[in-house]
Amino acid sequence: MHSHTNEATATSTSGGGGGGTAGGTGAAGGFAATGTSGGGSTEGKIRCIFLSEFHATAGCKISCQVPENYISKDVFDAINVYIIPKQHLQRCILTVNAMDVKIVGYPVGIQDQQKYPRNAFLFNLCFVCDSRARSVQYEPVVKKLSEYLIMMEEESCFLSREDDKRRLQNIFETVLRDLNERKVATIVEGDNTIYLKIVMHKPDPPPVKDHMVPLLLANLRDAPLDNWDLTTQQILPYINGINHVARIAAEADVETDLVKSCIQNLVYYGVVQLLPILKYSNVYMTQNLKHLIQSAALSGACRTYVALRPDKTLPSVQRIFQFYASMTHGVTLRAICQRLCPQQHNIDERRMVIFGLQHRFIRCIHKYPVFTGSVPSGRQKMYTGLISFDEICCKTGLSPCTIERDIEKDTNVTVIWK
Amino acid sequence: MEANVNPLAVILVYFDSKGDRLLYRYPYQTLGQAKTASEDQRKSRKRNPFAVTHVDDLLQTPSQVVASQSGQGQLQGFADDVLSALFAVKPQLCNQKFELKLNDVRFVSHPTLIPHKEQGSRTGAGTGTSSTIAANPSKKQQMLINIVFALNAQASYSIVKCYHELSKRLGLALKFEEQSSGYLTEQTAQMARTHDEQQQQPLEDTLALIAERCTLAQSLRSIFHDLSNTGLLSTSLNHNLTLCFCLPAKAHQLHKKGSMVDPETIDRCLRALKPYHGMLLLVDFAELLDCVPPTGARMLWQLVDAYNPLISLQSMASKADLSIEHVYKLVSHLVYWAKATIIYPLCETNVYVIAPDAPLHTKSHLVEKFSTRFAGMSLFEVISDFSLPTSIGHLTTPLQQPARQGILAQMVIWMLQHHLLMQLHTYVQFMPSEDEFGDSASASCSQQLRDGPSDEEQEQDADVDQDELHDGSMLSMYSQPLPVPVSSVSISIGGLHRREASEEQSSLASDNIAVQPSSSHKSNFSITASMSTDNCDSLDSIEDEQKLKELLQVFSEPDRAAIRRIPASSNVDDLSLLVKLYQMGYFKSEHHLEEIMYFENLRRSQLLQLLDKFRDVLIIYETEDPAIASMYNTK
Repeated sequence: MHSHTNEATATSTSGGGGGGTAGGTGAAGGFAATGTSGGGSTEGKIRCIFLSEFHATAGCKISCQVPENYISKDVFDAINVYIIPKQHLQRCILTVNAMDVKIVGYPVGIQDQQKYPRNAFLFNLCFVCDSRARSVQYEPVVKKLSEYLIMMEEESCFLSREDDKRRLQNIFETVLRDLNERKVATIVEGDNTIYLKIVMHKPDPPPVKDHMVPLLLANLRDAPLDNWDLTTQQILPYINGINHVARIAAEADVETDLVKSCIQNLVYYGVVQLLPILKYSNVYMTQNLKHLIQSAALSGACRTYVALRPDKTLPSVQRIFQFYASMTHGVTLRAICQRLCPQQHNIDERRMVIFGLQHRFIRCIHKYPVFTGSVPSGRQKMYTGLISFDEICCKTGLSPCTIERDIEKDTNVTVIWK
Repeated sequence: MEANVNPLAVILVYFDSKGDRLLYRYPYQTLGQAKTASEDQRKSRKRNPFAVTHVDDLLQTPSQVVASQSGQGQLQGFADDVLSALFAVKPQLCNQKFELKLNDVRFVSHPTLIPHKEQGSRTGAGTGTSSTIAANPSKKQQMLINIVFALNAQASYSIVKCYHELSKRLGLALKFEEQSSGYLTEQTAQMARTHDEQQQQPLEDTLALIAERCTLAQSLRSIFHDLSNTGLLSTSLNHNLTLCFCLPAKAHQLHKKGSMVDPETIDRCLRALKPYHGMLLLVDFAELLDCVPPTGARMLWQLVDAYNPLISLQSMASKADLSIEHVYKLVSHLVYWAKATIIYPLCETNVYVIAPDAPLHTKSHLVEKFSTRFAGMSLFEVISDFSLPTSIGHLTTPLQQPARQGILAQMVIWMLQHHLLMQLHTYVQFMPSEDEFGDSASASCSQQLRDGPSDEEQEQDADVDQDELHDGSMLSMYSQPLPVPVSSVSISIGGLHRREASEEQSSLASDNIAVQPSSSHKSNFSITASMSTDNCDSLDSIEDEQKLKELLQVFSEPDRAAIRRIPASSNVDDLSLLVKLYQMGYFKSEHHLEEIMYFENLRRSQLLQLLDKFRDVLIIYETEDPAIASMYNTK
């Protein structure tokens, strides 16, 4: 299910990559507000691809480079120890970051006493990035391309024959362009077809719980349904930003755990975002609300998104801002709706809340019952301060009112909102 | 996450004309052995024994699996000579950041070239020429020292940057010690000698022996321990130079488990530092000193003497007799070192609420800590008061004894120190509602009905429009809330024709006074003045109108219309304050009330009154100070 946990997808394109491809397009088409900063490093493009080899007479040199002279001779001389290293560092991913370039390489040595003057052919295919850029995602690609080159070298001396650099140059040019633009490259060279794909490696998303509500970020209804695995196909129609996981499982008639792992997979690909369940008794709090005004694109998108009836005049930014601004601790969504009557102004308050959560203008203030007595019994065991009210309702299958009454009566339970 | 912060090893590589050598490393077991434990964990995590190895993977790269295995093995047994060859970098790479990633390990360092201390140079320093001659050949005799930190490959960019900085500082410190006393030459020679002597012994014993003999090795060992334990280190090299360093990603975890505060976040918070901010110490006074070298302690003591969480940095600066820039620097330093945090000075009106990531649960150690600190109080009982935004002022009543308020303040401080509470501020956004034309039209309509025949009024308006007053005329009737003086004023200005008009207006105005009860004290004052000197005041009112007109020019046309519908806009003082604050950019959700109060020297009541008067065009909301909140929302 979790194809992302397996590094093999990083290099495979031939089969099973359907989910990945769709995920990729989904993430690209979605609103870019969900990105998390990588702590100062940036997603960098590949600046250059080169092949370095150990020449029988000339020693270490760059034999083919795209674009030409990106790595100057000075730089190469300073770092060539790490490009063509000693034997025991061969076939390791070796990344060197110095002199303002970051070079990802996979040094290789092919032993053959007949073919090569020095009994071995040493080479390294390297990708060059900016020194601040992240390069982990290129490692499997470098490795895979190297393996192709090894194979071609073993079969036909593709690399060691002098006249072949033109063809290698073409390969590099295509790889560089296609990987930077589309993250996928397919090159036909002689009898071989090279498939490359960059897959970003992200940490596993947190586990999905029953009470969470998945929201599709991009309009995936346009994407053909059969790109997805069967379970996802089955649950996808029920993901609407309103239904919670347990309900989706019930309505789609799919096992809850399956639904959870399916949704976790979608979260990994940035196709789905998990929101708290929407109730009119919920309390929301604003954060970074100014972005809504400062970004015209965002406020425009918000106006169209929250409109109750798109054919009528769109709600004004002022109205929307006022609505968000009135959200604070202690004010329930119900109270705000009663006060501001959003529907009269062509605002769908549910979509409004979803938009706010999705773009993080607002966050839900959850309610945590905490048991402060000595020995908890029965349901009190759940009141640890770690399990929110929604989750308790979902787990026990009781209505919020019942739980509320229960807590109200119990003097040993304190409620914390955070 | 936490594992990525800790170093895997520290390595000292030395390189000079005689060749390269790995002199010391810590821990002693070969690199990678320490990782076997984590490797086992990783394997055990793969619980499903039926999991199929990805077939694609095997097909494409038959040697890949084997290669990575053997690669792992090589790393484990990474001979020291391989490492030393890798880190004895070429001279071109010296004195800059060097980063090498080998499979799962990332090596970070700052190779430093250090000239050997010329033995005779100290004696020859008396004559300038001879010393330079002596120094020239010594320039060629340079040694390269490379203190390498091995990290987990997943370590983030900012963590890598911190380690690089540490390596750089160590290099600089060693350079200094070498120049002053030849420390490095002596230490490296001793290490090399020990290696030579102990060639038969296992390497681990040799390294242990080096640590016994050489102070440099001891320093490196203690650095490694400090980094792994607290992230704060204060090591003296050669019993002389004190090196202080802080790894924020680690140090801030001491106060808040699981948080990853990177230096960028801290910088962002500190750039937003303003004189009105306050500081809250997170540790005891005694613990403060280890973050500064002894030479820098004097200023810190000055500040600590003046420290009080109830006052702003500016007051602290004046109390401690330091410039505000110095205070900023000191505070930044303390914040970076996780010794202090930035708050808004504690006062009764501050509104606090439970922080979204507050670790509040029954198993939390904070619960016990709180009840020992405040005998008999339950953390949950106290903090549940802050489920809704609450100020200290709200929680106490004047009827209670003052001690109660003191305890409450102490508790709030404690909860702030443990990042359990977060302050909310009020922000203002200028936003006249465009779509309110419907509402306002009906409102003005009803007003006109109340005001009497609208045709007549329009006529009068048209009349007045012909005068130079045209824009201000509608305003003028609002600007004079009391009818009597207005009429008298008008007589003096214009002829009979005008008087009629103004009489009409004054009667309108008298109606209007019921509509707008909020007239500022200033306008009342001007009216009483006008009673005494009619002529003078008449000029005033013209000026006022002119002024109002000018003030309104600041706004765009639709905004102006919206503002003009507000009664208070006819008051010069109110409007000019609004315009001033608007022009200063305070109404763009960027500044909270406290900031506006501080910079514009306003009282809270003044500001709140103004905001209330113009509430139709202003949206007021509560949220956290983004600069301070960035230190919170690390989830």
